Amino acid sequence: MKRNLLSLSDIHVHYGGVHALRGINLSLQAGEVVALMGSNGAGKSTILKTIFGLVPITSGSVCWRGTSTLPVPHDMVRKGISFVPQGRRVFANLSVEENLEIGGFSVTDQGLVRQRIRDVMNLFPILEKKRKEPSGTLSGGQQQLLAIARGLMSNPQVLLLDEPSLGLSPKAVKEVFETIKTMSQTQKTALMIVEHNIPSLLRIAHRGYILDKGTIVAEGDAQRLAKDSTLERIFTGSS
Amino acid sequence: MDVVFQIVANSIIAGSLYTLIASGFTLTYSTTKFFNITHGVMTAVGAYTVFFLGKILGMPLLLAIIVGVLFAGLLGWVLNYFIYQPLRKKNASQLSLLVASLGAFTAIQACISLAFSSQFQTISHTAVMQKTFSIVGASVTQIQLIIVASALISFVSLTFFLKKTRFGTAIRAVSDDEEVAKVIGINTDKVIGIAFFIASALAGLAGILIGFDSAIEPTMGLALLMKGVTASIVGGLTSIFGAVVGSFLVSFVENFGIFYTAGEWRDAIVFTLLIIFLMFRPNGIIRT
Repeated sequence: MKRNLLSLSDIHVHYGGVHALRGINLSLQAGEVVALMGSNGAGKSTILKTIFGLVPITSGSVCWRGTSTLPVPHDMVRKGISFVPQGRRVFANLSVEENLEIGGFSVTDQGLVRQRIRDVMNLFPILEKKRKEPSGTLSGGQQQLLAIARGLMSNPQVLLLDEPSLGLSPKAVKEVFETIKTMSQTQKTALMIVEHNIPSLLRIAHRGYILDKGTIVAEGDAQRLAKDSTLERIFTGSS
Repeated sequence: MDVVFQIVANSIIAGSLYTLIASGFTLTYSTTKFFNITHGVMTAVGAYTVFFLGKILGMPLLLAIIVGVLFAGLLGWVLNYFIYQPLRKKNASQLSLLVASLGAFTAIQACISLAFSSQFQTISHTAVMQKTFSIVGASVTQIQLIIVASALISFVSLTFFLKKTRFGTAIRAVSDDEEVAKVIGINTDKVIGIAFFIASALAGLAGILIGFDSAIEPTMGLALLMKGVTASIVGGLTSIFGAVVGSFLVSFVENFGIFYTAGEWRDAIVFTLLIIFLMFRPNGIIRT
């Protein structure tokens, strides 16, 4: 049996007066692509933020390689977890190259940072052409690719992707998912993806979790979940 | 014609001092997005540290200046660490941070008054610094040349630091989007702390240089803060280059303005410029 890279045990999170996560248990193994699905406000993005230390945990534990850890963002990056937040949040005033350089901030060996830039440029050829341009001038799809590329700069073992297709044109969505698929096949990075584009997501995911109102209501093999009525029930609001 | 050259020289000297203050203010504002009033009192902290160490205790002047600059920087770091950082973590509003910095400003200024009295003091105990040179008809002292050189060196060093070093890029990333900077593994608390140290050290240096050029008093920080903040706003509040452009625009308008009116109009001219910019170009000259 494979050992979990990352696991969450009985996680509860409160946002002000809202009980956003209610006893979440999930896991991620090396090289795996895991999908988090559910309607708006189900708690998908909160799970990613909790893993990364961007929201405080009320109770429960996050385990990294079997050891309980208190998530703090810069510590999580050093441990090997990278987070790409939703909304294509690149550093608009920095060039494409500077965005990548700063993405490798936790890597102290500058030679290694240069090597990583070459590697991600190979994976995302469009960024090579735009290398010196301010990232604020890139198209939405290119900014999303840059945000993902920046997330890979620390050479993470786990990449958390929050809504990578949000606000993108159908052509850009296709391009982003093609890149994620290539990335999951060529890199050893495990992916945990929050996404509303369920068909595209389940085509690349190995496993998935379906959330509703802060709890996991279904989990399992991605192909099985694609046929599960739970997804339709949640998205249509039928009981 | 000599008068015009003298006004230009005075503008360059004042612009250099404003550059030191505005660069620091821009640095902390861009990383934290709050109006740090305490920045002004750091001029008095730097100046009075040199006054105490150099003039009262007799420490070698250069050493006293270095300690003065470092002490101002350290105090800025301490204020951020113990007051502003905890407030930011509690999601305090900009108004709360503004009031906190006003309180810290007032307390530090009062401490300086209690320790050294409210009277004007001079820290220049050597005539060498007041040696006068004539440059294209304008009369400038040695310390005024040092002021211009200090501003130039500070601008070049700070620009190099921000553009060419890993930590400088981290400061620019935090200025751009603090949450995403956290996400990519930057310890934003540490970066902001260092920004406060650099900014306060620059303000301290400005205060020390003013002390050698003219005189110091505990309340010197407020007027300097207002000029520095005006320069920052005019410059766009986002870049050091903008702060420099804003500083020289403010100083030229101020000095030529009082030449055509009277010295009493100095502050009114500067604030009129500020109001004009706030009304017609609120994002300043240099927009990023």
